[in-house]
Amino acid sequence: MPLEIFVCVKQTPHPEHFSKISLDPATGSIQRAGIPSVMNPLDKNAVEEALRIREKFSGKVTAISMGPPQAKEVLEEAYAMGVDEGVLLCDSTFAGADTLATAYTLAQAIQKLGRFDLILCGNESIDGATGQVGPQLAEFLGIPHITYVTRLEFQGEREALATREIEYGYLKVKFRLPAAVTVLKSINQYRLPTVMDIMQAAGKEVKTWNCEETGGEKTCLGLEGSPTRVAGLVALQTKRKREILKGSEEEIARMAVKRLHEYGVI
Amino acid sequence: MDFSFSRAHEMVRNMVREYAEKEVGPKVESYSQEGDEFPYETLKRCAELGLIGLIIPKKYGGNEMGYLARMIAIEEISKVYASLGANLRGWGLVPYMITVAGTEEQKQKYLPAFCKGEIQGSIATTEATSGSDFGSFPVSYKKDGDDYIINCRKVMISRATVSDVFGMMVRGEKGYTCFLIEKRMPGVQTGHREKLISTLSRNSPLGDVALTNCRVPKSQVVGEEGKGLGPALSTIGFVGRTGGAGICLGVAESSFDIAVKYSKERIVYGKPLHDLQSLKFMLADMAVRVECSKLLCYQVSWLQDQGKKPVELNRETSMSKLFASESAVNNTLKAIEILGGYGTAPEFGLIQRMKTALDMIAAAGSNNVLRRNVGDAAVA
Repeated sequence: MPLEIFVCVKQTPHPEHFSKISLDPATGSIQRAGIPSVMNPLDKNAVEEALRIREKFSGKVTAISMGPPQAKEVLEEAYAMGVDEGVLLCDSTFAGADTLATAYTLAQAIQKLGRFDLILCGNESIDGATGQVGPQLAEFLGIPHITYVTRLEFQGEREALATREIEYGYLKVKFRLPAAVTVLKSINQYRLPTVMDIMQAAGKEVKTWNCEETGGEKTCLGLEGSPTRVAGLVALQTKRKREILKGSEEEIARMAVKRLHEYGVI
Repeated sequence: MDFSFSRAHEMVRNMVREYAEKEVGPKVESYSQEGDEFPYETLKRCAELGLIGLIIPKKYGGNEMGYLARMIAIEEISKVYASLGANLRGWGLVPYMITVAGTEEQKQKYLPAFCKGEIQGSIATTEATSGSDFGSFPVSYKKDGDDYIINCRKVMISRATVSDVFGMMVRGEKGYTCFLIEKRMPGVQTGHREKLISTLSRNSPLGDVALTNCRVPKSQVVGEEGKGLGPALSTIGFVGRTGGAGICLGVAESSFDIAVKYSKERIVYGKPLHDLQSLKFMLADMAVRVECSKLLCYQVSWLQDQGKKPVELNRETSMSKLFASESAVNNTLKAIEILGGYGTAPEFGLIQRMKTALDMIAAAGSNNVLRRNVGDAAVA
């Protein structure tokens, strides 16, 4: 049976322009005006893995994203890479969603879109970097999840061996489909679309679902459905501290080592 | 007036930028070592990505995305490695000549191979006596039955020693004729590599292509015999010149970016370098040059995509390369000045950029010839 693979993709600020992102001192919100957006880099690895699995076993790859109308752009990027369908969940009701409400919304849509065998996500996004959406989505769908995956080897169509990166090495996990997998950069080298791929993608339609079409309890969506709130944002400030050490060479060396210990550097 | 790019153009820019920064960027310093050959494996990769077929019909293996996409691709690649931008420009010239003036047989024979990166070509017009003044070319071919016997020496030909096919304009009794000369044809010799600074930067081996009693069948004539000026000049002016403008835009832009970054990081007298007003004025002038180059380059490409003919855009193609190349030289020089002692350090890549920028002052119509074009248009 052909595999039904879903890849969750997110639009994030372009990493090259991170230095231009600022915080509004009055509201504490992130100012992204004028910052170009791209597909979250790890999501590209997830799309690539999905395409490779489809190339091996046949099936369908659907890229899905939740976001404002301009998030359509990441689905166009996914089309250019080679996915079969792009779905955008777009409604003002979804605004302000935390990771739980986001995962809930994605789960509603995926269930409504039909059968699913494998859900692939980037391990985390470069902006929020929580790493929570993939596992939460798996919980909503009632399927196992494997995170921090650096290698995925299929042993037949319905069974696979995942290599997870853990603190002191690697953990191999055998699992059966359906399942959700979140991937790290080292899992593959994602493909660049060709000019022809891009031209063909530009003409493809992105299926856009609003709140009603997506389904689900309204109390679980967007800000209302989010049990967490960002209480505040503080810009990281790096300040250099200068201290002139005086004494003989040996004394200076000892003082320098002591200071480095005090500051936790060594 | 809408200055925005289409989504597809933005995606092409992102793709080319990612290719240039991730696949080419890390190798540039080693590519630029003097004496080595240009990394021709990049030709295959550019072909795979569809960057050689941007103005070639789909029917013959291209993608026809157009001139603006080509300008963007050359610009983005040249920001990272101007020599590759110069080659990407060069790889497209002979295919263009065949597309606009070649026979169906020539199109089928050559264009798919060019688009796949299986072969590469060079335009060969300049002779020892002159480049732009082709009126001084000696008569160099005669007809022999259905064949032509050619004796000539073309000089300063880009990629002379590595190209498989030359789009060569030769003077005969009936005027100028364009031929497709294959390197493997008896009587064709390539060599005498010029030792210009650009060649040392692995730009493109510039050298001679000499034909000695070279028998060329009629099937290799591009367009009509005696009417070769049109295809040759439109290839150089319409495609070569705008490609040169794109290379220079990339150089002007990246030299500016390097200068801005350095001026933010370098602390002098307790403040960032750019806090010095004289330096900020330099950055301002550099920024203006970049923006003006962009406007000229994108405008001429857009006009090309609107179907304007080469003869209608002589002024615009001339202005784009003239301004962008002088901007590239000036911006790179200013960046070298701003970086002080590091200005000529290989890791900053400014000298490598300067070599290509200087090359472009003379390429595809020297800047003084282009000034004449613009001036002629002004008083016409």
